[in-house]
Amino acid sequence: MLVLFGLLGGRCFAAPEVTERAAGRQICYQRDVLPILARNCFACHGFDLRARQAGLRLDSRDGATATLESGHAAVVPGDPAGSGLLARVQHADPAQRMPPVETGKALTSEQLDILRAWIEQGAVYQQHWAFVVPADHPPPDEGEAYEPIDAFVRARLRNAGLVPAPRADPWTLLRRLSLDLTGLPPTLEDLDQFLLEYSDAPEPAWRRWTEKYLASPQYGEKWARWWLDQARYADSNGYSIDAPREIWKFRDYVIEAFNSDLPLDQFTREQLAGDMIPGASEQQRVATGFHRNTQINQEGGIDREQFRIDSLFDRVATTGTVWLGLSIGCAQCHDHKFDPITQREYYQFFAFLNNQDEPTMKVLGADREAVPQQKQALEAELQKLLEARADEIAAFETAVVQEGESTERGKQLAKLLAVARDKRTFAQRLSLFAAGPGASDQEFQARRNQWLACEQILNEAPSTMVLQELTRPRTTRIFVQGDFTRPAEEVSSGTPSALHRFEPGDVPPTRLQLANWIVSPENPLTARVIVNRVWQVYFGKGLVETDNDFGLQGTPPTHPELLDWMALRFQRQGWSFKQLHRSIVASETYRQSSDVDPKFRDVDPGNALLARQRRLRLDAELIRDAALAASGALTTRIGGPPVFPPIPDGVMSQGQVKREWKASTGANRFRRGLYTFLYRATPPPALNVFDAPDGYSTCTRRLRSNTPLQALTLLNDMAFFEVARQLASLIERDGLTSAFRACTARQPCAEELGVLSSLDSLSAARVLLNLDETMTRE
Amino acid sequence: MNPMLRPRLQMETRRHFFHQCSIGVGAIALSSLMGERSSALADQSRLASTSRPTHFLPRAKRVIYLFMAGGPSQLEMFDYKPQLVEMNGKPIPASYLAGKRFAFMDSSHRVDLLGTRRQFARHGECGAWVSDLLPHTAGIVDDLCFVKTCKTDLFNHAPAKLFMNTGSGQFGRPSMGAWVTYGLGSECGDLPGFVVLQSGPRGPRGGAVLWGSGFLPTMYQGVPLRNQGEPILNITPPAGVSDLAQQEVMRSLRTLNEQRLAATGDDEISTRINAYEMAFRMQTSAPELMDTRSESQETLRMYGIKDPVESSYARNCLLARRLVERGVRFIQLWHTNWDHHGGTTENLEQHLPAICQEIDQPTTALVRDLKQRGLLEDTLVVWGGEFGRTPMGEVRESTGRNHHIDAFTVWFAGGGMRGGVSYGETDEFGFGAVQNPTHVRDLHATILHLLGLDHERLTFRQQGLDVRLTGVNPARVLHELLV
Repeated sequence: MLVLFGLLGGRCFAAPEVTERAAGRQICYQRDVLPILARNCFACHGFDLRARQAGLRLDSRDGATATLESGHAAVVPGDPAGSGLLARVQHADPAQRMPPVETGKALTSEQLDILRAWIEQGAVYQQHWAFVVPADHPPPDEGEAYEPIDAFVRARLRNAGLVPAPRADPWTLLRRLSLDLTGLPPTLEDLDQFLLEYSDAPEPAWRRWTEKYLASPQYGEKWARWWLDQARYADSNGYSIDAPREIWKFRDYVIEAFNSDLPLDQFTREQLAGDMIPGASEQQRVATGFHRNTQINQEGGIDREQFRIDSLFDRVATTGTVWLGLSIGCAQCHDHKFDPITQREYYQFFAFLNNQDEPTMKVLGADREAVPQQKQALEAELQKLLEARADEIAAFETAVVQEGESTERGKQLAKLLAVARDKRTFAQRLSLFAAGPGASDQEFQARRNQWLACEQILNEAPSTMVLQELTRPRTTRIFVQGDFTRPAEEVSSGTPSALHRFEPGDVPPTRLQLANWIVSPENPLTARVIVNRVWQVYFGKGLVETDNDFGLQGTPPTHPELLDWMALRFQRQGWSFKQLHRSIVASETYRQSSDVDPKFRDVDPGNALLARQRRLRLDAELIRDAALAASGALTTRIGGPPVFPPIPDGVMSQGQVKREWKASTGANRFRRGLYTFLYRATPPPALNVFDAPDGYSTCTRRLRSNTPLQALTLLNDMAFFEVARQLASLIERDGLTSAFRACTARQPCAEELGVLSSLDSLSAARVLLNLDETMTRE
Repeated sequence: MNPMLRPRLQMETRRHFFHQCSIGVGAIALSSLMGERSSALADQSRLASTSRPTHFLPRAKRVIYLFMAGGPSQLEMFDYKPQLVEMNGKPIPASYLAGKRFAFMDSSHRVDLLGTRRQFARHGECGAWVSDLLPHTAGIVDDLCFVKTCKTDLFNHAPAKLFMNTGSGQFGRPSMGAWVTYGLGSECGDLPGFVVLQSGPRGPRGGAVLWGSGFLPTMYQGVPLRNQGEPILNITPPAGVSDLAQQEVMRSLRTLNEQRLAATGDDEISTRINAYEMAFRMQTSAPELMDTRSESQETLRMYGIKDPVESSYARNCLLARRLVERGVRFIQLWHTNWDHHGGTTENLEQHLPAICQEIDQPTTALVRDLKQRGLLEDTLVVWGGEFGRTPMGEVRESTGRNHHIDAFTVWFAGGGMRGGVSYGETDEFGFGAVQNPTHVRDLHATILHLLGLDHERLTFRQQGLDVRLTGVNPARVLHELLV
């Protein structure tokens, strides 16, 4: 194993599950030393100048080997006995020993051995792996015609003495594929069709069904939710007032982006700076809603600027986490403790995002051009008419006044006349004319009706929240300790210098250039971060487990060459998500059985080497979706305003302001979980209990908890009980086996059928919907 | 092929899996407490109802937090300031206001001092000051530890409540109850480890995030016990489902899940089986908890409960004791509304006395009841709001006070805190601390310490940071107040 990793690209990586004695082996800074230093030393002896103690920094070789005030150096390459670092970390006196006892940290004897051996071997530093662009590794030669992914994975398995699990059963495979690509279990017809094709020719069948699912509109819904977590999407303003907001057009934009396989680079540009793309389309402006998914505080007595700044802090942190996998947000109050980002650079990054208005925009779609134009033309025409017949109107007004308010018509007209002539809206002037001189003018009436129709379209069009760049940029200043009441020196927009070059054409640099910088091929991070986060969905864990921290504190990748290979391929294939999905699901690694082989349980308990697939509990929304689909209740309409499936009484009074929740009726009652209205302060309990994110900050990886409240929800919640009743009628119509297969995709065994058939159909349906297997992707 | 009969797992019995699972639980919990980076972050979420080792010997095993939402006026209740009375109506010296920010700065805020109209007296052996608003509380001062110089950072309700509960004014952090149950686990097999009870005219500003789990697994979030309808959301089987049918569903579900466990070898299924069993037990235990008919007339009288079914703060105090008896780790009572700005609905003349009357007797009864039953020793009771109120008056139609964050009173009882103590001293007007200022972080550190948890070691890794309840600024355990 060591040999293998020592040779590849001159780099080496941690194999977390395999430990070896340090003595006598080649120490690798990245793999062996950095985690120890980062964890235990960098907080006081790292990048942050102000936090640095005793003038010592250990994050660079120059710093570590410099002569300190004491006259000694912390690290003397080749001389462990002369290195102050070693003396201090194993000092007999607890008051002298590092790290200080109050940090609660201490080095193990193995860690001491590593540091000693590292110094002995010359104390070599390497640049952090994630800050170097991915290298082009050829897949290892595994002898057979493996997919590259499998070649990388199997090489490591073989070295660890592990054997990959066999392929999963065909029914498990299709359910896995369907859930992973569309978020829904396969229908019985699909299942039968697939099993037939698969028994005949497995590979073509697998490819065909992969394509079928990727082409289905449900694919966009499934993967949109993955992105919406990261975008911290919700349908309310947050904080304590938590008023509803209209921004679902952004959600629909994301669905469409996945369905049309919008490349990640363009997807990024549109969301961060769609308004600045020359000739920006309406959809590109809608996309800027990404950074409008911050909270808005509507409480009385607050300082609005404070909360605007807070939303910017969130935008900086979110951008850093989502695209760069870096905790840039840590540098808000001080230089980053571990990663090379200064506080000044933080505010330079902040400056990109500090220059916009935050308006709402009507979304007109196909009507965007035509309707306003038509309205304007009609207005000009009608205006001419009104002017030409101004005398008649004046005469009519006098007549109306004389007529008085005895009739209903009189009252209406009096109301219009009560508005001063020059204050009347165009609509009011039209009404007046329509009641008087224009009453019998067919031509005028037709024009007026057309105008009203235009007006109605414009009024009723949904609106959405967008960014709009200011013509005069705001001044950005560093805030001392992140406190907005303490502005210090002015900074201009810029990117962290430790990362790739930023060469803006324009001055000052804009959000659009930031977006371009993020998706630049020179960026070592974005492609890796995104590929890793997609991988995480399929295997429950990323190749880099800390998917949101690729910095020095993060975990190194389990399969670094594979990660690089996928990141490069992702870019070469035009940042296409669908291509990425294709390559993952085509692999044998993906298609393995998820059963736990007791032989290997102790060798690789976390399954880091991927000797099997992993059973994964479905995400909150998909638990709902799978139940709806299995029972035949699901409404498959894509997009549109959020809906209100039934929730228990009293939930909405948990917030400060009681919000209305009128349960949808008809088809909208059975929409996918993705469309449920999301109040941040009072999230829908059935989603919240299954770990749906709260929309307060970006969520790049959901936890999967397993609790009694989940059981109560699935057993007793009205919404699920309704679904159970539908499944019960399916049982009565098509039998237990059908219903069982609709939930799990497999044939029940005789014993299982025996248990279920001893129950009435409603109870059997409730059991099926509560099966661990039903809520799990196996 | 019968999927049930996979040869390699045939011999694995359920007992074997449960055995393995419980070993795993202990190991993971320990490693997370030691601040190690667990490679099984997601797996931590399945550590339901086990008790965990502490960092050091705990003095308290559980907490009852009586949260007085809105900001009770310390100047009318505990912090007696005769000079404020003397200076009534005069402007506060400008030196007090320099550099301060207040809520509603530009509207109703006034700078004239407002002396209290309450009568204060010394009580108990310790001679603690308590006003005539709290005659019952005055009787237990020798069991109470008053911290009169509490200080917070935020002056609006929701952020300040968040700050008091999560250590941050931003939404999305775990609440104290979540941290505590994350750190200690639960000792109760048939109720959640963190329970929330509410009383008063409306829910507290901030809502459910105040007892949320933030980035901790949702299993640690506070579970509200509801006053109306079913006590826990979805605890009752759907209408038309008989108890028998529900039992049969549970039994069959268990059988099928066990078979799947045997077939797949996935420990997560055994966790799920346990979760369903606990859910089933909760269906009995929660209604049983809420049914206070078995309590004696004397007990009901002591708490001042007139109608044992009607929801009230008094009844919630009694429920808190019943929850303590059942081993629930963290119990939080919320009582609204203490926001006495003045005006027709929230003034110091009428509404403060009324709400004090609502809480005085039940709170006192709770402390006494716990003591009688030998539970006060290892149960920490905390009483306080998100901030206090200004020495300056707000004159709307009637008198009131604005939000004040520099000095307010919180009291503790039991759980290893010394009784009969008044800690910290405020200046002549009660504006700021002149001795022992005590930040919210210090309160958090102390509460965790009493529970055997080191606030610097109880961490959870989030966005590159080992996040803790007390945040990144220094926090101090109030050792001088511990028994």
